Formats: sequence, structure tokens, C-alpha cells
Amino acid sequence: MTDYWLSKLFFDLQHDPQLVKDYRADMAAVIDRFRIKSDVRQALMDDDVAKLAPLVNAYLLRFYFQVRGMPQDEFMARLHAMNASGAPEAAKAGHG
Amino acid sequence: MAKLVGIFAASHGPIIARDWETMPRDHRAKLTAAFDEIGRRLRACRPDLLVVVSPDHWVNFFINNLPAICIGIGDEHDGPPEPFMKKVYPHAVLKGHAAFGRHLLQTALDNDFDPTLSHRLTLDHGTCIPLWRIGVDPELPLVPILVNDLEAPMPSIRRCFAWGRLVRRAIESYPEPLRVAVLGTGGLSHSIGETTMGWIDETFDHACIDAFARGEERQLDAFLTEQLERTGNGAHEIRDWVIAHAAAGSTGFELIDYFPSPATLVGAGFASWKAPVA
Repeated sequence: MTDYWLSKLFFDLQHDPQLVKDYRADMAAVIDRFRIKSDVRQALMDDDVAKLAPLVNAYLLRFYFQVRGMPQDEFMARLHAMNASGAPEAAKAGHG
Repeated sequence: MAKLVGIFAASHGPIIARDWETMPRDHRAKLTAAFDEIGRRLRACRPDLLVVVSPDHWVNFFINNLPAICIGIGDEHDGPPEPFMKKVYPHAVLKGHAAFGRHLLQTALDNDFDPTLSHRLTLDHGTCIPLWRIGVDPELPLVPILVNDLEAPMPSIRRCFAWGRLVRRAIESYPEPLRVAVLGTGGLSHSIGETTMGWIDETFDHACIDAFARGEERQLDAFLTEQLERTGNGAHEIRDWVIAHAAAGSTGFELIDYFPSPATLVGAGFASWKAPVA
């Protein structure tokens, strides 16, 4: 299920270099500017790829974790681990 | 009247731009050879205008306003916004062709298609990596067609065939003697930001290439409609190839090269179609 405000945060980060700077300086403060649910907020703070993946477009997810500075190999490993753990197929569904 | 003088398709991927200098030399050589061959063929057909069919990677549109198809009808468009693109393709402004763009839009509306329009699009790596690597003259006017290849629900393959035929009709009904080429970008298989990220589905890619080579629309439609749900999300960009294919009359496909490119995360495909005989 698409989370609009999480998607909006990721989209705005892609478009606004100042927001990226602000985010890197104080994630929590930037997250508070969006209507992010508490469990999603925690997933952002934890860099929880598996929790966030089903909620946003896959390309926005990839961009977001580039902003977070997560190496591509680690990002891919975390995605692949979702398969291994039998996590829902939701990460593929509906998000391009 | 204008005429369709060349039809091409090429893969793209941000890593091609971002990591070009550090990519293995043999890999760079294969990509260069394929892009160069398209460039050679494109220049040989002496286009006055290039219709570029690409996805939008969340640059112009978001889920609060996401068109299935958008036609760029401006005299200018903005070059790529990605920092990694600005280093290799430093064109802040790209030429459009408002007159043909409007004609394409009007032809669409007159034929019961309902695209959205933009007087100024921003053309991201999906459009500009092929332009850069092919060596397209930055002065060549572009008419971009942006297709929602990224977020479901997407245009059906059947509709993409119809769009390709419509592009052809618009070219052939344009009153000025323009030489028009079409370039579809994206594909073949790749998987981005999903649990199969990095997967290049060679089985899909070879079957897809075979289906394009056979040309028959119903078979290709059935194959893609079924298989796109089973392979990586990046393969949805094959819609841009389908539009090019149908513009060519769904015949004359020629594979220039295909190879799985793990370094760029894509099944790298390059093709051209025979231009219709005048």
C-alpha cells in the first residue's frame, strides 16, 4: 500500500538539495514536517529497508537510501534478505 | 509532408553516467560500440527532429499528478537535473520543436487519445544518457514523450502499440518536409529497489528480442502483458520500445546488440527498425 507522505518525503529529497542538507543534519526535524506515521518514522530512523520498501515506489526507495549514504551492495543485500525471510511480495507489487 | 526516417531503441541506466570512468574497460567498450552504432545510423538518416520516448524518473511528476503519457510541446526543455548527469551532459537547455509537438498533441486528441502536455519538461537520465552516448547533436530539436513506466497502473501494451501508430500518423500528416526519427529508451530487464534488485532476466530479454524480431503485435502484446508482471520492474520501460516498434509498422526490427550488464544493473539492449519506404 502506497504511503503518500513517505513518498512525498522521498520525492522532496530528490528535488531539494537544501532539504537533503537539513535531513542529514536533523532527520527527526525534517520527518516532523511530513505527516509520517509513528511506525514509519521509526523505520526511517532505523534505516529499515524491509519496512519501508512496500510503502513507496522502488525507484524512490533506491534514491532515498542513496541520500542516506547506504552503499548499493548493502541496500541490495537488505532487499534480498526480504526474500530469504519470506517477507511479503509487497515490495514488488504496484510500485514499478 | 514530414517522413519517418529512422527508428531506434537503447537502454539507459544512471550507473552508465555516474560510474562511466571506473567501469571495466571491456564493458565500456561494448556499451560504446552499441551506442556508437545507433549514433552512426541516426546521423545517416539526417533527422531534423527526434521524438524521444522515455520514462520519467520522478523528475516531472509525482503520485499527486501522474500522467500515463505526456507530450513535450515547448520550444525548449530543461536538461538533466541529476548531479551525475551534469558532469557528462552539461546541457542546461535542450531544443524542443513546439510546432511538431503541438501537431502530435492535436493528432492524438483528434484520434481519441488524451495525453497531458507540457510546455517545458525536464529530461532526466532516461532521455539524456542515450542522447549523450549516441552523440546526438545538442542542437537537434526534441519532442519528448514521457510514459509512465514506473508506477502501476501503467499504460497497457496494447495502448502503447496504438501510441506508436499514432506517432507515425502524426509524422506523416505534418505539413512541413521534416525528417523525423524516433528513439525509445529503457529496458530491457532490470530490477531496481525491489527484492530482486540486480537481477537481469536473460530469459525474458531473449524472448522479448525474439518477439520484436517476429514483429507480430498480438504475440508481442500477449508476451509482454504476461511476462512484465513476472520480471524486474525496470523491464516496464519496454513500453518505450513498443511505441517505437509500432511507429515502424511493427516490422523491420534489427538487434544491434544485447548483453547482460551487471555493472550497470541492466539487460542492455540496442536496436533499430527499418524506416518505411517513402
